[in-house]
Amino acid sequence: MNVEIEVPFVDFKRRYALQKSEIDAAVQAVFGSGNYILGEYVEEFERKVSQYLGCPYVLAVANGTDAIIMALKAFNIGVGDEVVVPVNSFVASAGAVAAVGAIPVFCDVTEDLNIDVIKLPRLINKRTKVILPVHLTGRPANMVAVLKIAKQHKLKVIEDAAQSIGAKYQGQMTGCIGDVGCFSLHPLKNLHVYGDGGLITVNDEKLYQQLKLMRNHGLKDRDTCVAFGLNSRLDSVQAKIASLGMEHLNQWTERRRYIAQLYRDGLKNLVTVPVDASGDFSVYHNFVILTQQRDALAAFLQKQGVDTRVHYPIPLHLQPAASYLGYKTGDFPVAERLAKEMLSLPVFPELKDVEVQKVVKTIQDFFRIN
Amino acid sequence: MQVKNFLPGQYVRDNQLPINHNYLQQQFADYEVILDKIKQVVWKGDFTLGEAVDQFEARYRQITHTKYAIGVGSGTDALFLSLKALGIKEGDEVITTPFTFYATIGAIVTAGARPVFVDILEDYNINPALIEAKITKRTKAILPVHWSGKPCHMEAINAIAKKHGLFVLEDACHAIQATYRGRSAGSLGDIAGFSFHPLKNLNVWGDGGIITTNSDALAEKLKLMRNHGLKGRDECVMFAYNSRLDTVQAVVALHLLEKLEHIIASRISHANTLDIELKTISQITVPQREADIKQVYHLYSIRCERRDKLKEHLIQHGVDAKVHYPVPMHCQPAAKSWGYQKGDFPVAEQVAASTLSLPVHEFITEQDIEKMVRLIQEFYQ
Repeated sequence: MNVEIEVPFVDFKRRYALQKSEIDAAVQAVFGSGNYILGEYVEEFERKVSQYLGCPYVLAVANGTDAIIMALKAFNIGVGDEVVVPVNSFVASAGAVAAVGAIPVFCDVTEDLNIDVIKLPRLINKRTKVILPVHLTGRPANMVAVLKIAKQHKLKVIEDAAQSIGAKYQGQMTGCIGDVGCFSLHPLKNLHVYGDGGLITVNDEKLYQQLKLMRNHGLKDRDTCVAFGLNSRLDSVQAKIASLGMEHLNQWTERRRYIAQLYRDGLKNLVTVPVDASGDFSVYHNFVILTQQRDALAAFLQKQGVDTRVHYPIPLHLQPAASYLGYKTGDFPVAERLAKEMLSLPVFPELKDVEVQKVVKTIQDFFRIN
Repeated sequence: MQVKNFLPGQYVRDNQLPINHNYLQQQFADYEVILDKIKQVVWKGDFTLGEAVDQFEARYRQITHTKYAIGVGSGTDALFLSLKALGIKEGDEVITTPFTFYATIGAIVTAGARPVFVDILEDYNINPALIEAKITKRTKAILPVHWSGKPCHMEAINAIAKKHGLFVLEDACHAIQATYRGRSAGSLGDIAGFSFHPLKNLNVWGDGGIITTNSDALAEKLKLMRNHGLKGRDECVMFAYNSRLDTVQAVVALHLLEKLEHIIASRISHANTLDIELKTISQITVPQREADIKQVYHLYSIRCERRDKLKEHLIQHGVDAKVHYPVPMHCQPAAKSWGYQKGDFPVAEQVAASTLSLPVHEFITEQDIEKMVRLIQEFYQ
């Protein structure tokens, strides 16, 4: 019977079905209000996030990439500067650095998929201005070490928390540990909108005011521009959808962690499974296992109706876009190995227990044969 | 937000004036139809560069008579990404008008270039006769703004650009469906940016924009640039940006596109009526209209004596008169480092000091127009 179950990697339909009545009513209210840009809905959402994270200043922006670009600009990062980025991340982490004219300097990762803080110090030179740790998959990076290195070299720390809302590092919310936190609200994210959206979190009021100007053409008021720039705003309707999501976020996170535990219990003897370091709290935006038989396993799962992904099959330094930086195969041995071993299993909150069991059983079957 | 019934068939927010600039609730009185279409998107999870974006881009190519239309996050991003696609960078200069919205200049500055201003004509648009004097070795592009929905004198501008090997980027944010000598705004230069901000002639429920071009190379680059430089899911061929028109906003835009002809026709008709009436008032200057230019009146702006007092008078009597905009770009605090001063662009400065915009959107009635005219006549008596 299990064989008939198809397990999708993500299913927007299920999520919408659960939230339909509240989403429909909210969307209708926003559209009926004629208030489509900034204003009350965005402010309400920012307040909720501020409370949730315990962070005084939260700014909603157009997307997670813009969040990083704006953070870099707020620190005046530009041509001639270097920013250290873990080499296993979504391309936007490096794209944002390149967008402001700076050089992304890649750092290898460890088996937790996050920046290797042992290898990090030797990448720092006079041109280095920022460390951009990524809490990949919703698992916190080693922030104590990152902050210590940053302090030593007087560097800013911008956390790429695109995948990690609600994750805690030693009790502290990710995105609120460094100088700036950058979040994405892309539809696949744990907290999401129905289009593009992002968030910036800061503790410093001056920085916040500067970012707020940047979000809206540098306008002090309707008729006065103090710094020419772009705009990057979260649409009111998307803010309202995200506000509703805030009411469910803890529940969604718990469900992701529960599924992760089921996977761990069933698979820990067969593959490498992610485990929280003591004191950490991962939110499993993705649940990534490691196995040397990744491609065969993925094909086997696909044949049995289980959809999986790889985040990400090409490390940043081997992307065609990075060719100008002069890296080559072999430069980041761990990341390169992980690119061949990582497999993301379905972990969205609406996934049913029987589906998780099917994934576990299918993987167990695979290793029985192989 | 409390909604109250103001006049039969008219719904306005209670903090608005009866004759208003913000008409979104009236425009989207049928929003339930749009919500049903949006639900289809949600069921499919088709949120990012979805089917409706493709459909809208296809329709947009038709209405602008261009080969490519690329939906992006905002009109500002449309201009910025266009400049980047043209290769504008640090040290370059871009010639433009000081009488524009901040985003025009913001896009140039963010691309790393310096805006070089040229004064305007009495029609609020860049004066082509003054452009050549400002061209230097560093000049890479001319960025004419079709202010208020009136296309610039593009033949003259294109001729200068051709002579000096410059790109032409149209800021067409106000100018959907405007034409110059029979050709559509957005098809008049190398590339163009449009905005769908909620108060534009074609608008969405948030931010949105589109880029039009006939260039294969620019279109290919821009499709990458708006989506992280991704070719497929896993391969990144250039580090770039994220600036996408949301699928749900494309649904709104497609819906409104069906009404666009009516929207534009109403604006033109209201503007023509106002023109006739206001020309008889000696304290008012109505900008010159040109037979071979179809302007679409995103703004209906006139110049008037004692502008601020007139504006106050109109507001007091329920007319949402606005100034777009009182301070030209070269006089903004943000422009300080370029060393311009007051007096550098006398026409732009005069216009900024005397311009006033009256609502001419599709929900303005004949009675509204009569009232506005009467109030202005009264004021000057």
